Amino acid sequence: MTAPRPYALLAEVTYRCPLHCPYCSNPVALPVAALLGEAPRRPQGGGYSNGELTTDEWKRVIREAAALGVLQIGFSGGEPLARRDLAELVRAAREANLYTNLITSGIGLDDDRVRDLRDAGLDSVQLSFQSDQPDLSDEIAGAHAHRRKLDVASKIRAAEISLSLNFVIHRRNIDRLPQMIELAESLGAERVELANVQFYGWAFLNRAALLPTREQVTRARAIAIAAKARPPRSMEIFYVLPDYYESRPKPCLNGWGQRYLTVNPIGDVLPCPTASSAIPDLHFENVRARNLDWIWRESESFTRFRGTDWMPEPCRSCPQREIDFGGCRCQAALLTGNATNTDPVCEFSPNRAIVDAILRDINSNDAARDWTYRVNPKELTVSS
Amino acid sequence: MCSGQCSMRFIMLMAANPISDATQPRIAKGVRLQLDPATGKTVLLFPEGIVELNETAQEILSRCDGRTLSEIVRDLAEEYDADVAALAADVRETLADLNERKLIELT
Repeated sequence: MTAPRPYALLAEVTYRCPLHCPYCSNPVALPVAALLGEAPRRPQGGGYSNGELTTDEWKRVIREAAALGVLQIGFSGGEPLARRDLAELVRAAREANLYTNLITSGIGLDDDRVRDLRDAGLDSVQLSFQSDQPDLSDEIAGAHAHRRKLDVASKIRAAEISLSLNFVIHRRNIDRLPQMIELAESLGAERVELANVQFYGWAFLNRAALLPTREQVTRARAIAIAAKARPPRSMEIFYVLPDYYESRPKPCLNGWGQRYLTVNPIGDVLPCPTASSAIPDLHFENVRARNLDWIWRESESFTRFRGTDWMPEPCRSCPQREIDFGGCRCQAALLTGNATNTDPVCEFSPNRAIVDAILRDINSNDAARDWTYRVNPKELTVSS
Repeated sequence: MCSGQCSMRFIMLMAANPISDATQPRIAKGVRLQLDPATGKTVLLFPEGIVELNETAQEILSRCDGRTLSEIVRDLAEEYDADVAALAADVRETLADLNERKLIELT
């Protein structure tokens, strides 16, 4: 099929991060060699000797994305503030007429950098919080971060940049939903996102510790619905469902290769940020070797699941196929071992029993379980 | 960065409540009105979202610069030689919906 135009680019500018959240969607096995600067494709004299794309390379990616039709860019990571050239990249994105989002932990956002980002034209900050309470939040983040985030939120407000609070919801914090909404309101956020954890990357590894119980999910859903309906609403509330408890899959990415593309720190272009770790047999192109236009339109990684021709039954003949697109390819790969299968969340999937077994396990024994904190590339550098 | 949301919301315009004549609608903080070069249409951009505007919404929003509702209606009526009452109802409906979605502020 012909390629549609993409709307949004997720620019994962670095995998470095001061936090260690056990639900991080970054790959568990980071491309260590590349990030340690040992990769053969490392550029010479570009300023980033750790394998990350250089400032000029990112600017080229931004221009190529805009030419493809992209209207929005999300600067993410890792922690994008770890890149000292972030404001320069934001400026380049605004010059390309893109709407600019910064998706951040806030750590490292001091007065100077807030001012630089505002002056560069940053449109919006999505500030992550782990919970509403300092102790629990810091335990989840594996770092003393909560109080600094409160301070960062007030700096963003003072700079009059649009503020969203993003919470990832899981078993340890789902019972704090009302307090999280209150925190977002008290910080003057325009928007709060309460996203139940989706199981990719570190979250997949830590699923047994993170998956909430059915009782928790039922309670949380009622709280979210009531909060959304409560007038007068001072902010937008978005609640992302825990898909394992649904009977139909999420319309992941609004279809593979339809609206989104991700460029990771070393320049690999992904249809979705989790595809590189979830679908190992898919080969991803790199912006150092190919231009974005060709990768989006022609590459195997973007065309393999584009449209509906690739679908097996029960998707192929399903009236929902243009609505949920068969769900998530990464989830199919992670849970069934084959990315072409129907997302096993779907009640019509022959593999739904896999999801049911996971839910049964959690709901028959909801004792707290340990998680593994995310390890960062910077620490790998130090210890190697 | 987080294992949360993974799809941008593309939203549709829908009807809601009326607004007074003296109200000054403005585009909300963090929301940008601009041309989509790929289609030639005007869009509203906001965190993780895009709304493609129909011609009516575009004409209204391009006038949300401090003018009151009655001024916007009057300007549009003059420009398009349209019936003021019908136009006022359309403008109210569009603004109410955009306000409901926090894409404009009513002051």
